[in-house]
Amino acid sequence: MSEAQETRQIILDTAERMFGDLCDKQLLDAAEQGEFAAPLWEQIAANGFHHLGAAASGTSAADLYAFLMTCGRHAVPLPLAETLLVNNWREPDNGLYSIGIVDGDEVVDVPWGRRAEAVIAVNPATGAVCAIDTPEVVRQSVNMAGEPRDVVRLTSDAVPLEVADDPFAQLALTRANLMAGGVQALLELGITFASEREQFGRQISKFQAIQHSLAIIASEAAAARRAADAAVDALGDERFVVEVAASKARIGEAVTVAAEQVHQIHGAMGFTHEHRLHHFSRRTWAWRDEFGNEFFWQQRLGAHLANLGADKVWSFMATRG
Amino acid sequence: MLQFDRVSLDSDTETLRAQVREFLEDNESHFTTPNSDFGTGHDPEFSRKLGERGWIGMTWPKRYGGGERTFFERYVVTEETLAAGAPVSAHWIADRQSGPLLLRFGTEAQRETYLPQITAGEAYFSIGMSEPDTGSDLASVRTTAIKEGDQYRINGTKIWTTDAHRNHFIICLVRTDPSATRHDGLSQIIVDLKNDGVDVRPIANMAGGEDFNEVVFDDVMVPADRIVGEPGNGWTQVTSELAYERSGPERFLSAFRVFVELVRACGPDPAAHEAAAIGRIAAHLMTMRRMSISVAGMLQGGKDVAVEAALVKELGNNFEKVLPEIARLAAPESAIKGRFRETFEETMLLSPSFTLRGGTREILRGVIARGLGLR
Repeated sequence: MSEAQETRQIILDTAERMFGDLCDKQLLDAAEQGEFAAPLWEQIAANGFHHLGAAASGTSAADLYAFLMTCGRHAVPLPLAETLLVNNWREPDNGLYSIGIVDGDEVVDVPWGRRAEAVIAVNPATGAVCAIDTPEVVRQSVNMAGEPRDVVRLTSDAVPLEVADDPFAQLALTRANLMAGGVQALLELGITFASEREQFGRQISKFQAIQHSLAIIASEAAAARRAADAAVDALGDERFVVEVAASKARIGEAVTVAAEQVHQIHGAMGFTHEHRLHHFSRRTWAWRDEFGNEFFWQQRLGAHLANLGADKVWSFMATRG
Repeated sequence: MLQFDRVSLDSDTETLRAQVREFLEDNESHFTTPNSDFGTGHDPEFSRKLGERGWIGMTWPKRYGGGERTFFERYVVTEETLAAGAPVSAHWIADRQSGPLLLRFGTEAQRETYLPQITAGEAYFSIGMSEPDTGSDLASVRTTAIKEGDQYRINGTKIWTTDAHRNHFIICLVRTDPSATRHDGLSQIIVDLKNDGVDVRPIANMAGGEDFNEVVFDDVMVPADRIVGEPGNGWTQVTSELAYERSGPERFLSAFRVFVELVRACGPDPAAHEAAAIGRIAAHLMTMRRMSISVAGMLQGGKDVAVEAALVKELGNNFEKVLPEIARLAAPESAIKGRFRETFEETMLLSPSFTLRGGTREILRGVIARGLGLR
């Protein structure tokens, strides 16, 4: 293993243990009631994970996204994707930050805007980015997974920021990685449930219909992960935006298939609030639509290919990877 | 958990890629079918030309006529020929699975005899696995090969045997010990398709093609040294052979030309739904190609790829069927006539076979489930 790979492994193993200990059903339920998971955030900051990818941290952007995939696998109820990107876009510090989308004189869909010490506003149409250092929350709102998505006033004193790679695509890439982790969790939940649940005198995992269902989910989980990695590897490349487009679009479809299959495996139990499955299915469903859904990114990628022309399509596919 | 590592084709494959593209441009006159299905274009002259360039048996040792090149280099040649719609079916099976099988399990004499002919693009192989009563349940094969002195006497019937009417050899899965059951007592044996007692009967398929056959063996006498590897080791060998068959670019590129023609039909300034259809197809293909290259990386590293290969085939074959559907519903009115239509129709008619050949969807899902520890 190279030194970089070892560093990544240590980060992921540590994160895995931390989330395994702290990120349980009770915490997820509380977070969805609006309670901020302060002890978890403190642990993350104590490990320096909120600075992953930042220049002085000794870690790479690829570490950041691998960490987010692990966050997705545990449904970590904090605005880590946003805080991490802000710490990569500006001089990093120990604050909790968020990012939203400019809509008129408001910034919408701001994860945990109510707790953010600063909010970065991204205008997807122009690519312009600016920082609001004393954010005023106009309305509190949540996505379909109960994750806070607030509305913040876009003030005239917001400070412009320069961001190297397309900022909207970076945001989409955070959701691609969270979803890839989430689909992995759906697979694991499905395997566990099917191995524990007995019907007709045997574990339902012994039924071919259930095995095929799990095979479908495993295929989607593997595709999601490979697609997420591929887009991360394109950071800094001129193809970054189209690679993110392919990734977010593909992984969104993986969510649709995997979530449907895994709910069917869980039967009525998975439809209860008491079961933890919905924390993952609702999140992955919601993340499909954040920062451009499948249709949005398919169009971007398709327009790019149409512009290249039919006889250049293969060459495009066979470049990179 | 199943892992598809970040593997990319090294930059040194780029020179090779350019050479292959130039070769394909020079040989476009050989391209007779509009699609990119590995099974449809049978052209010995084209196969010999590929052989001359050293592009068959690329990874095999030089002493058998191979090129000792990497699995990545082989990948480049296979994906470039398929994407272009080149006629690769004559040498395809020999290059992809019969050769690697002989290399891994065959005797030294077999390697010396067959491999140089394969790499020259001159010896073509068929697969003798399925029988009239043996489809997915491969361990139920009944064809027998009974030893008599220094020969085997073969009796039985193989079916769905692609190109048996024009290939040179068939590697049959046979029972050499009829008293054993299921996975025991099976062997693989090489039969010359011109042998006395071999009767090849064509079976027309629904797409109008006649590339597969029923092959009847009636007291066919074959020298004992044609047994591949050890008698009785047939099951292990055949499952290993199937893994080679499953992960390559042919498992997601069969409908690729439909995609190309969709892009052409939509033009440079597509409507939103047209662009989305193009992007959707591309997103799937890009991801599957990378997964397939990850498996090539595992093969290069000498790893067992059975489960990962099954997973790539499962995703790839399903998408090969979805692709023409996405294209059909998105294509503009103007595409009803012309190249899009022609490519679409030929691919559509072949599409039922995509999730059957080389292991059905149901078998593959079983292999994946086993990999997940469910069986």
